[in-house]
Order: sequence, then structure tokens, then C-alpha cells
Amino acid sequence: MSKRVDDEIMNEEEPTTKSKTGWSQVTQRHYDPEGNEELTTVIVYAIAEARGVSPIEVKSPPLYEVVDVPAIENTFFGPDVAGESRQSVGTVEFQYTNYLIQVESDGWVQLYESTGTDDPGLD
Amino acid sequence: MAEKSEASEEDTTGASVAAQSQLPPPDILEIEPVYEALGHSRRRYLCYTLLESTEWSLTDLATKIAAWENDIPEHAVETTQQKRVYVSLYHAHVPKLVDEGVLTFDETTEKITAGKHAEQVLAALEAIGASLDSHQETHARGEMNEQES
Repeated sequence: MSKRVDDEIMNEEEPTTKSKTGWSQVTQRHYDPEGNEELTTVIVYAIAEARGVSPIEVKSPPLYEVVDVPAIENTFFGPDVAGESRQSVGTVEFQYTNYLIQVESDGWVQLYESTGTDDPGLD
Repeated sequence: MAEKSEASEEDTTGASVAAQSQLPPPDILEIEPVYEALGHSRRRYLCYTLLESTEWSLTDLATKIAAWENDIPEHAVETTQQKRVYVSLYHAHVPKLVDEGVLTFDETTEKITAGKHAEQVLAALEAIGASLDSHQETHARGEMNEQES
């Protein structure tokens, strides 16, 4: 579990410990709304890391077919009517193949994989 | 009775004609792909490249866009820069433009060509480009002129 060093927001919940029943955290990456990388790129890089492949080898299905990532980007990080970044606190989660991906309003992208306890298993 | 029904029939007809004339012509509704397509700088770059050539490989496009965004020549684009753009094109912008009918994408060869709405989008892009995004416009134009001469 990696530590978040740039998160100084006081939270009731421990922000670094992520656990969900049936899912275990594989990796996390930070999206910077002020940076050059798109949220789509950050998510695909996290998937690639989890799979141990190069990001350009993550092909099928395209994220576009699963969820509208630029819409999430706009929802959390897009400018409001006054031109400033939105203040909402929240999380969007969706599944991509066998992964559960969470995008948090602080820019952290968490990637989980199924622990497989509910799967009958093939071996 | 007969008179009354005639009158109401006339009213109905008159009202429906009026209502129909208030509807925008179907062509105007077709403008939505234009807004969707041009709503992101990388998609505008993608559309610009279609002015230059009718067929592109996704890899070449990623290099070109990375060069544009970083304001460096194409040969100076680093693999990491190119990959980041490639990934966002592949997973977000190209499928979006395919959906809007602006591009076609061959998944096997990863070649991009113009779609049926491309002309409409390019016309809109040329019309608004100069005022909305003059740097990008100048940049793309400059490069095209260089290659032409």
C-alpha cells in the first residue's frame, strides 16, 4: 500500500487504506487537473500497470465503450461557471474487464481486482 | 354540427402547420456532431490533420499531436509523450469521433480516415478556428503551408 504524501486534507476515514469486500487494491495513480495528462490516460496507465503490460497494449474494449471518462473529468475537475475548479467531494466507480476502478474527486484513481472468492474457479 | 366540425378541423390544420413551421430544419439538428467533435483540443487537432491527409495511422497521429502540444518538432517527441497521446486517442477521442461519424477507424490496421460528417466538421472548424483557437489554427496552418511549399 503506497502512502499519499500530498494529501493533507483532514479526513475521518483513513485515505490510504482501501478495502472493499471481494476486491483488493492493485494500484493507484494520481490525476492532476492542471497537468497535461488526461484522466483517460491516467486510468489506462493504471490498467496497464495492473496487467503488467505497456499502456499501448491495453486495447479491448476501449474505455469509451465502458464509461465516458471525459465526462467524469468534467464532472469533478471541470471549471464551474465562475471559471474555478469544482469543489465537490465524491467518488465515481465503474468496472473495466475484471477491474473495479474508482475516480476520486481529489484526483486519485484506485484500481482493484476481484479477489475471486465468489468465482467458482476453473482450476 | 357539420359547421362546427369543419371549423375545428380547420383550426387543427392551421395549428399543426404553424407548429411545423416553427420546427428547425433537420439540417440544423445535424450540427450536434460538430459541437461534440470540436469540444476538445485533441479532437480539433485530429480534425485538422484530416485537412492535410485523408489517411493516418494512429501512431503517426499521436506523434504529430504530441509535437503540436509540446511545441516541438516531431522527431523530438519522446516515446512517453507519444504513448500518452496515443492512449487518449485510442480510448477516448477516436471512438468519440467514430461515433459522431467524423472518422472511420480500422481496428486491425489502426488507420484513420474521414467519415461522412468530416466535411461538415472541417468547414465549421475552419470557420471558427481563427477566433476561438488562434494559436492552434496558426500552428496547424503554418505546418500545412510549409509542406505545400
